[in-house]
Amino acid sequence: MKIKVLIPLVSIVAAVAVAGCSSPNAHYIQTGGQESVVNVGQINIQDFMSAADAATGDLLASGVLNRVQPPPAVLAISRIVNNTSQQLDTDLLVKRIRVALLHSGKAVTTTTYGVGGPEDPLAAQMQGESSRAPDFTLSGKIIETYARAGNIRQATYSFQLSLTDHQGLAVWESDKDITKQGARSSVGF
Amino acid sequence: MKTKIATLLLAAGALAGCVSSPSVNTVQNAQTTGQRNFIQDRRIITDRPFSRRVAVLALNTSMTPGDLLKVQVELFNRTGSIQRFNYSFEWFDLNGMQVDNSLAVALVPDQINAGESKFISAVAPSSACRDFHLKLLQAQAQDQDQ
Repeated sequence: MKIKVLIPLVSIVAAVAVAGCSSPNAHYIQTGGQESVVNVGQINIQDFMSAADAATGDLLASGVLNRVQPPPAVLAISRIVNNTSQQLDTDLLVKRIRVALLHSGKAVTTTTYGVGGPEDPLAAQMQGESSRAPDFTLSGKIIETYARAGNIRQATYSFQLSLTDHQGLAVWESDKDITKQGARSSVGF
Repeated sequence: MKTKIATLLLAAGALAGCVSSPSVNTVQNAQTTGQRNFIQDRRIITDRPFSRRVAVLALNTSMTPGDLLKVQVELFNRTGSIQRFNYSFEWFDLNGMQVDNSLAVALVPDQINAGESKFISAVAPSSACRDFHLKLLQAQAQDQDQ
């Protein structure tokens, strides 16, 4: 009798164990959502999204863009320095800010001015003399700082941004730090 | 029997990472100058244990110089340990339609210390925004690939 009860029970436990150990099938997840992979040693997509969200909210709340007449303010993208050890495209940060500012109706970005040439060369060629000069330039830097204590590793990524007016004054600045900590896996290959 | 149960509970607590942390003492000026514009809220609670651990105390709003709605939410950690959570704001216009916000899809990770009162805030992505939803989720343990 006991064996009769035990056999199905053991089968169920084994099935659950096997299912738990197998790797999940490929599936879609929400970008930046709760299931996103988090790495201590690199900037993840949700970090860019979080930094861009914080910077955009701060810039919109500051009211700096509303000082420009007539609205919307015109932004030119200046140098965004990547001072991390990773190779990354700074548009992961800047483009999100640009899109959010455009949707807000508070600012538009020129694609005919830029460090190292226009972003859109054809638009620059077509541009007439009556075109509006940028009201602000957006520049910034991404910095990383590492720390380690025993088995614990920590990384801080600083997203620094400055908005400069045509007088060369930084009229808005933002510094968003994202810190991640994790233990190095005790099992290595 | 009682000893066994106590041991099991302790082990479960340790496994869950429920290690108590120093609680936060807070002091503020008694006669506050700033007046918060408190608003009434409507809550849909699906994770009751988490809502008991991290309570939403109050919501207040203001307008920014750029005529954008700013929302501030006061949270309070009722437990004796750090609570990690993720949150996001969604915004709606006058017609109740969700306002497209490419940044809002990301959950913002945050944490609150034991006994701490903490404010989280957000600025509406455009002046069309009139209403908002705040989503609060308890953070999941992440796989760590370093």
